[in-house]
Amino acid sequence: MARQDRPSQVFDAGLQQERTALAWERTAIASMVAGVLLARYSAQELHVAVAAIGILQVVLGAVLLIWTGMHYDDLHGPLRSGESPVHPLAARVVGLATVCFSGLALIVAFAIALR
Amino acid sequence: MNKQRWFPGDPRQVGSDPDYRFTLANERTFLAWIRTSLALAAGGLGAVTILDDFPGEEFLGIGLLALSFATAATAYRRWALNERAMRLDEPLPPSKLPATMAVGVALVAVAAAVFFVIDTL
Repeated sequence: MARQDRPSQVFDAGLQQERTALAWERTAIASMVAGVLLARYSAQELHVAVAAIGILQVVLGAVLLIWTGMHYDDLHGPLRSGESPVHPLAARVVGLATVCFSGLALIVAFAIALR
Repeated sequence: MNKQRWFPGDPRQVGSDPDYRFTLANERTFLAWIRTSLALAAGGLGAVTILDDFPGEEFLGIGLLALSFATAATAYRRWALNERAMRLDEPLPPSKLPATMAVGVALVAVAAAVFFVIDTL
Protein backbone atom coordinates (compact mmCIF):
# COMPACT_ATOMS: atom_id res chain seq x y z
CA MET A 1 0.00 0.00 0.00
CA ALA A 2 1.41 3.41 -0.99
CA ARG A 3 2.19 5.63 1.93
CA GLN A 4 -0.10 8.67 2.14
CA ASP A 5 1.04 12.21 2.83
CA ARG A 6 0.52 13.34 6.40
CA PRO A 7 -2.38 15.81 6.67
CA SER A 8 -1.52 19.48 7.09
CA GLN A 9 -4.67 20.20 9.12
CA VAL A 10 -6.64 18.27 11.71
CA PHE A 11 -9.12 16.12 9.82
CA ASP A 12 -9.86 13.88 12.78
CA ALA A 13 -11.81 15.73 15.50
CA GLY A 14 -10.82 14.47 18.95
CA LEU A 15 -7.72 12.77 17.50
CA GLN A 16 -9.50 9.41 17.54
CA GLN A 17 -6.99 7.83 15.20
CA GLU A 18 -3.98 8.94 17.23
CA ARG A 19 -5.56 7.74 20.48
CA THR A 20 -6.25 4.38 18.87
CA ALA A 21 -2.65 4.13 17.62
CA LEU A 22 -1.42 4.91 21.15
CA ALA A 23 -3.73 2.22 22.56
CA TRP A 24 -2.13 -0.27 20.12
CA GLU A 25 1.34 0.83 21.24
CA ARG A 26 0.48 0.45 24.94
CA THR A 27 -0.87 -3.01 24.21
CA ALA A 28 2.29 -3.98 22.33
CA ILE A 29 4.47 -2.78 25.22
CA ALA A 30 2.28 -4.64 27.75
CA SER A 31 2.73 -7.83 25.65
CA MET A 32 6.49 -7.44 25.81
CA VAL A 33 6.49 -6.87 29.59
CA ALA A 34 4.27 -9.91 30.23
CA GLY A 35 6.45 -11.98 27.87
CA VAL A 36 9.65 -11.05 29.72
CA LEU A 37 8.07 -12.02 33.07
CA LEU A 38 6.97 -15.43 31.76
CA ALA A 39 10.37 -16.06 30.14
CA ARG A 40 12.21 -15.29 33.37
CA TYR A 41 9.83 -17.28 35.59
CA SER A 42 9.81 -20.41 33.43
CA ALA A 43 13.58 -20.36 32.81
CA GLN A 44 14.18 -20.04 36.55
CA GLU A 45 11.70 -22.62 37.79
CA LEU A 46 11.19 -25.12 34.93
CA HIS A 47 13.53 -25.20 31.95
CA VAL A 48 15.23 -22.71 29.64
CA ALA A 49 13.28 -24.15 26.67
CA VAL A 50 9.94 -23.13 28.23
CA ALA A 51 11.16 -19.51 28.20
CA ALA A 52 10.64 -19.62 24.41
CA ILE A 53 6.91 -18.96 24.99
CA GLY A 54 7.74 -15.72 26.74
CA ILE A 55 10.37 -14.73 24.13
CA LEU A 56 7.80 -15.36 21.37
CA GLN A 57 5.40 -12.98 23.10
CA VAL A 58 8.15 -10.32 23.30
CA VAL A 59 8.85 -10.71 19.56
CA LEU A 60 5.13 -10.49 18.84
CA GLY A 61 4.90 -7.27 20.86
CA ALA A 62 7.83 -5.79 18.92
CA VAL A 63 6.27 -6.72 15.57
CA LEU A 64 2.96 -5.23 16.72
CA LEU A 65 4.72 -2.00 17.71
CA ILE A 66 6.27 -1.65 14.25
CA TRP A 67 2.99 -2.56 12.51
CA THR A 68 1.15 0.06 14.59
CA GLY A 69 3.44 2.85 13.38
CA MET A 70 3.07 1.80 9.74
CA HIS A 71 -0.69 1.29 10.03
CA TYR A 72 -1.11 4.75 11.59
CA ASP A 73 0.47 6.34 8.51
CA ASP A 74 -1.40 4.11 6.06
CA LEU A 75 -4.78 4.93 7.57
CA HIS A 76 -4.67 8.70 6.94
CA GLY A 77 -5.74 8.40 3.31
CA PRO A 78 -8.57 5.87 3.71
CA LEU A 79 -9.96 7.79 6.71
CA ARG A 80 -10.04 11.06 4.80
CA SER A 81 -11.82 9.40 1.89
CA GLY A 82 -14.46 8.04 4.27
CA GLU A 83 -13.48 4.36 4.42
CA SER A 84 -14.11 2.35 7.59
CA PRO A 85 -10.92 1.71 9.64
CA VAL A 86 -12.29 -1.64 10.87
CA HIS A 87 -9.53 -4.30 10.99
CA PRO A 88 -10.88 -7.75 11.99
CA LEU A 89 -7.59 -9.52 11.19
CA ALA A 90 -5.60 -7.41 13.67
CA ALA A 91 -8.21 -7.96 16.38
CA ARG A 92 -8.20 -11.70 15.66
CA VAL A 93 -4.41 -12.06 15.74
CA VAL A 94 -4.01 -10.05 18.95
CA GLY A 95 -7.03 -11.71 20.61
CA LEU A 96 -5.86 -15.24 19.83
CA ALA A 97 -2.22 -14.52 20.72
CA THR A 98 -3.28 -13.18 24.12
CA VAL A 99 -5.51 -16.21 24.79
CA CYS A 100 -2.60 -18.54 23.92
CA PHE A 101 -0.14 -16.59 26.04
CA SER A 102 -2.46 -16.41 29.03
CA GLY A 103 -3.38 -20.10 28.78
CA LEU A 104 0.25 -21.20 28.50
CA ALA A 105 1.23 -18.98 31.46
CA LEU A 106 -1.55 -20.65 33.47
CA ILE A 107 -0.29 -24.13 32.48
CA VAL A 108 3.30 -23.20 33.41
CA ALA A 109 2.19 -21.87 36.82
CA PHE A 110 0.16 -25.07 37.43
CA ALA A 111 3.10 -27.27 36.41
CA ILE A 112 5.38 -25.47 38.86
CA ALA A 113 2.81 -25.48 41.69
CA LEU A 114 2.17 -29.25 41.30
CA ARG A 115 5.84 -30.27 41.31
CA MET B 1 -27.54 -18.59 16.16
CA ASN B 2 -24.65 -16.54 14.94
CA LYS B 3 -24.38 -14.42 18.09
CA GLN B 4 -23.77 -17.41 20.36
CA ARG B 5 -20.55 -18.49 18.66
CA TRP B 6 -17.25 -18.09 20.48
CA PHE B 7 -15.38 -16.90 17.43
CA PRO B 8 -17.69 -14.62 15.41
CA GLY B 9 -16.81 -14.06 11.76
CA ASP B 10 -15.99 -10.84 9.96
CA PRO B 11 -18.49 -8.20 11.17
CA ARG B 12 -18.33 -6.52 7.74
CA GLN B 13 -20.64 -9.25 6.40
CA VAL B 14 -23.69 -7.41 7.77
CA GLY B 15 -25.05 -3.87 7.88
CA SER B 16 -23.26 -0.69 6.82
CA ASP B 17 -20.13 1.13 8.01
CA PRO B 18 -20.78 3.12 11.21
CA ASP B 19 -19.12 6.48 11.97
CA TYR B 20 -15.37 5.70 11.93
CA ARG B 21 -15.00 7.20 15.43
CA PHE B 22 -17.26 4.47 16.85
CA THR B 23 -15.22 1.77 15.12
CA LEU B 24 -12.01 3.22 16.58
CA ALA B 25 -13.61 3.55 20.05
CA ASN B 26 -14.63 -0.13 19.88
CA GLU B 27 -11.06 -1.03 18.88
CA ARG B 28 -9.66 0.93 21.85
CA THR B 29 -12.07 -0.81 24.22
CA PHE B 30 -10.94 -4.18 22.86
CA LEU B 31 -7.30 -3.19 23.35
CA ALA B 32 -8.05 -2.00 26.91
CA TRP B 33 -9.43 -5.49 27.71
CA ILE B 34 -6.36 -7.12 26.14
CA ARG B 35 -4.12 -4.91 28.28
CA THR B 36 -6.20 -5.80 31.35
CA SER B 37 -5.60 -9.46 30.55
CA LEU B 38 -1.85 -8.88 30.06
CA ALA B 39 -1.64 -6.84 33.30
CA LEU B 40 -3.41 -9.63 35.23
CA ALA B 41 -0.97 -12.16 33.72
CA ALA B 42 1.96 -9.93 34.69
CA GLY B 43 0.50 -9.62 38.21
CA GLY B 44 0.04 -13.38 38.50
CA LEU B 45 3.54 -14.13 37.22
CA GLY B 46 4.89 -11.43 39.53
CA ALA B 47 3.10 -13.04 42.50
CA VAL B 48 4.56 -16.52 41.90
CA THR B 49 8.04 -15.09 41.20
CA ILE B 50 8.42 -12.43 43.90
CA LEU B 51 6.35 -13.86 46.79
CA ASP B 52 8.73 -16.69 47.65
CA ASP B 53 7.83 -18.58 50.84
CA PHE B 54 4.63 -16.55 51.22
CA PRO B 55 1.57 -18.68 52.12
CA GLY B 56 -0.89 -18.93 49.24
CA GLU B 57 1.67 -17.71 46.71
CA GLU B 58 0.45 -20.22 44.13
CA PHE B 59 -3.20 -19.56 44.92
CA LEU B 60 -2.81 -15.82 44.26
CA GLY B 61 -0.73 -16.30 41.11
CA ILE B 62 -2.99 -18.92 39.57
CA GLY B 63 -6.09 -16.90 40.54
CA LEU B 64 -4.80 -13.83 38.68
CA LEU B 65 -3.71 -15.93 35.69
CA ALA B 66 -7.18 -17.53 35.52
CA LEU B 67 -8.79 -14.05 35.49
CA SER B 68 -6.32 -13.07 32.76
CA PHE B 69 -7.35 -16.09 30.66
CA ALA B 70 -11.06 -15.36 31.10
CA THR B 71 -10.54 -11.77 29.96
CA ALA B 72 -8.45 -12.73 26.93
CA ALA B 73 -10.87 -15.49 25.93
CA THR B 74 -13.83 -13.11 25.68
CA ALA B 75 -12.09 -10.00 24.25
CA TYR B 76 -12.30 -10.76 20.51
CA ARG B 77 -15.88 -12.02 20.75
CA ARG B 78 -16.98 -8.82 22.49
CA TRP B 79 -15.20 -6.69 19.88
CA ALA B 80 -16.85 -8.54 16.98
CA LEU B 81 -20.35 -8.52 18.53
CA ASN B 82 -20.08 -4.78 19.33
CA GLU B 83 -18.91 -4.02 15.79
CA ARG B 84 -21.75 -6.11 14.38
CA ALA B 85 -24.35 -4.37 16.56
CA MET B 86 -23.05 -0.94 15.48
CA ARG B 87 -23.23 -1.94 11.80
CA LEU B 88 -26.85 -3.08 12.25
CA ASP B 89 -27.69 -0.01 14.37
CA GLU B 90 -28.71 -2.28 17.25
CA PRO B 91 -28.02 -1.73 20.98
CA LEU B 92 -24.64 -3.10 22.10
CA PRO B 93 -24.89 -6.61 23.59
CA PRO B 94 -24.74 -6.75 27.40
CA SER B 95 -21.75 -8.38 29.08
CA LYS B 96 -21.19 -9.99 32.46
CA LEU B 97 -17.42 -9.63 32.15
CA PRO B 98 -16.97 -6.28 34.01
CA ALA B 99 -18.98 -7.60 37.00
CA THR B 100 -17.17 -10.97 36.92
CA MET B 101 -13.82 -9.22 36.80
CA ALA B 102 -14.70 -6.89 39.72
CA VAL B 103 -15.78 -9.82 41.91
CA GLY B 104 -12.80 -11.96 40.85
CA VAL B 105 -10.18 -9.28 41.54
CA ALA B 106 -11.88 -8.44 44.87
CA LEU B 107 -11.74 -12.13 45.90
CA VAL B 108 -8.02 -12.32 45.06
CA ALA B 109 -7.41 -9.11 47.03
CA VAL B 110 -9.28 -10.43 50.09
CA ALA B 111 -7.38 -13.73 49.84
CA ALA B 112 -4.09 -11.79 49.67
CA ALA B 113 -5.05 -9.84 52.82
CA VAL B 114 -5.93 -13.08 54.66
CA PHE B 115 -2.64 -14.71 53.62
CA PHE B 116 -0.78 -11.58 54.75
CA VAL B 117 -2.39 -11.77 58.21
CA ILE B 118 -1.55 -15.50 58.45
CA ASP B 119 2.02 -14.72 57.43
CA THR B 120 2.53 -12.05 60.10
CA LEU B 121 0.99 -14.11 62.94
